Amino acid sequence: MSFYQTWLPFIYLYGIGGVSFLLGTFLIFRTGALRVNDPVHKKWVWVLFYGYFFYAFIHALFIYLAIESV
Amino acid sequence: MENILGTNLDRIVILAYFAIVMGFGAYFGKYSKTTSDYFFGGRRFAWWLITISIVATGIGSHSFVKYSTKAYQYGFSSTMTYMNDWFFMPLFLFGWLPIIYYLRLGSIPEYFERRFSREARYIATFMILMYMIGYIAIQFLTLATALYKIYGIPLMLTVILIAIATTIYMHFGGQTSVIFTDLIQGFILIFAGLLLFYLGLNFLVDNTSYSSGLKALWENLSPAEKLPLANFNSPPDFNFVGIFWQDGIAGSIGFLFLNQGLIMRFMAARSVNEGRKAAAFNVLVILPISAIVVSNAGWIGKAIANSIPGALPADLAPNDVFVSVANLITSPGVFGFIIAALCAALMSTSDTLVNASSSVIINDIYRPLTKNKASDEEQLKLARLASVLVKVIAVCLVPFFNSFDSIYEAHGWFHSTFTPPLVVGVFLGIFWRRFTSTAVIATFVVGAFLMILGQMYPSLVSPFSHGIEFRPGRGYSYIGALYNLVVCAGVGVIVTLFTKPNPSKNLTGLTVFDVHKLKNIFKGSDVNELIGKPVIVNYEIKDLKEGRVSFSEDDMKIANAKKGDLVYIQDSRWWLGGLKSIHATYDTPHKESGIVYISQKQCDSGMFIDGLSLKAEKEM
Repeated sequence: MSFYQTWLPFIYLYGIGGVSFLLGTFLIFRTGALRVNDPVHKKWVWVLFYGYFFYAFIHALFIYLAIESV
Repeated sequence: MENILGTNLDRIVILAYFAIVMGFGAYFGKYSKTTSDYFFGGRRFAWWLITISIVATGIGSHSFVKYSTKAYQYGFSSTMTYMNDWFFMPLFLFGWLPIIYYLRLGSIPEYFERRFSREARYIATFMILMYMIGYIAIQFLTLATALYKIYGIPLMLTVILIAIATTIYMHFGGQTSVIFTDLIQGFILIFAGLLLFYLGLNFLVDNTSYSSGLKALWENLSPAEKLPLANFNSPPDFNFVGIFWQDGIAGSIGFLFLNQGLIMRFMAARSVNEGRKAAAFNVLVILPISAIVVSNAGWIGKAIANSIPGALPADLAPNDVFVSVANLITSPGVFGFIIAALCAALMSTSDTLVNASSSVIINDIYRPLTKNKASDEEQLKLARLASVLVKVIAVCLVPFFNSFDSIYEAHGWFHSTFTPPLVVGVFLGIFWRRFTSTAVIATFVVGAFLMILGQMYPSLVSPFSHGIEFRPGRGYSYIGALYNLVVCAGVGVIVTLFTKPNPSKNLTGLTVFDVHKLKNIFKGSDVNELIGKPVIVNYEIKDLKEGRVSFSEDDMKIANAKKGDLVYIQDSRWWLGGLKSIHATYDTPHKESGIVYISQKQCDSGMFIDGLSLKAEKEM
């Protein structure tokens, strides 16, 4: 399987998607919409980053397993 | 009618299902007394109730057919579109959700008027209505296509019968009926999808030499079919980069920021934080499960085709995969149940969209035209009539969508045609204060014109194609969304730079820069952020000022509440999910601990039961 089938889509997804995610997080932080000194909001910061890495992990795992099955 | 599938038992199961859901929905009609109840369910529900009802909204009947088809053709990458929605969650949870909730927006077009101008609202209303009614038509078409194969009734007659069935419970119940029928249908959808997966794995074990169904599935898919993301830029009808821009970017923003049905669901949550929990749980937990639910028939079908020659017809059309696989691996009655789940998907998605469409008709057309002079009762009647009208138009549109090559294409056409201008309009509106009213109208009008040009002259799209092959007569399909987004955003930015911005005082609370002020705007005074504990109380009836309730000094101390703070009071049985609840304001306290005084009107509104305790929590 070629790079076009395996890791390029992953890099593109979490690269462009990651930029959108980080810009969004930066914006809500800068504008005060998300306040890290608020205990409820603090938990949400963890949830937001957990979600990003959760999906990245699932996708990376399946790509790895598919490559291994060749 | 040739090749009618299923048995009489299956047909009875499907009819029984329709009858049960209609009865269930009609029962919950008694909880809709005002237009606020009808459209927003009174803003009182717990996050888990909202989450499960969102499941049924997110999975349409087209989902089973569409994703099973792609799963059969391309394997696990059919899950791509269900697993790329997290990137905009920060902006949604902490930007858009507080704005729509605290400003008590009745609809998405209302935001366009408050942020920009009435003209912007009218154009947005037209585009959103077209989008939603067309979407409903596609749902009708998909289910009718499946039922046509089972009952042999002519397609259009099936469409009309489905429309009548969903009208019955929608007519009486509005959003509360939608939420509760969708709660049941959400469970049924997930259960049926996972049951189909389980039966499929068992079928593989019974008919192959493998002892584990999962191993049989894994071993009978090619390495490429095991990949979770599609090939980067080929084939033209299913490639990663095109679908990323069409679904991951335009679709995700459209789904989270512009789907009136979904937005109304979040606004039915009892608080912004409950709405956040519902949204996050939905994307993190429910969507991956949903991806399996809607795709597995295709994966099982492919594994069967690879390992058991002759089990499925050699000339099986991809669009027929779901129904054919379900028919093969299930027994009589169970097949009927699986098809009933398809009905659940249709009914739950279309009822949400119909409710949303009638909300838009009332809030964005009727109220502005009548200058909000009609009584609430009149508006409620009209809302019910509007929901019937929406379905009639949707039924009339079915033949148009039936002319597309596939449901996948019809659905893709929607996303690429209607979402980019709205996505750019709402996104720049929220996150760029300088974005002007003239610019948003130019985005809609000039952007739409440039999008049409792109469809007529594909060479305009080719710089964005990422190497995707151009198909003469069929264009670039998905990657066209990138071109559409760029031209709409380009028009918006350029026109903004040459026009005078709106005075910043007119934008208060309407952009992400003011989210921290929204609680004050919502409450109308300073917010009490002190953390308190919930209290369990018994209620007594007393005449109080409108919207006020009176707690004891001790209970207010436990809740850390002051006079004028907002309180949420619900029946203490958690599993009601807030169905029996009210929002109120703390009045002057009294001395009797464990007692709350409420008015008869509040008692009726909350449907509290005499003798049962209530749970009260300070909101802000």
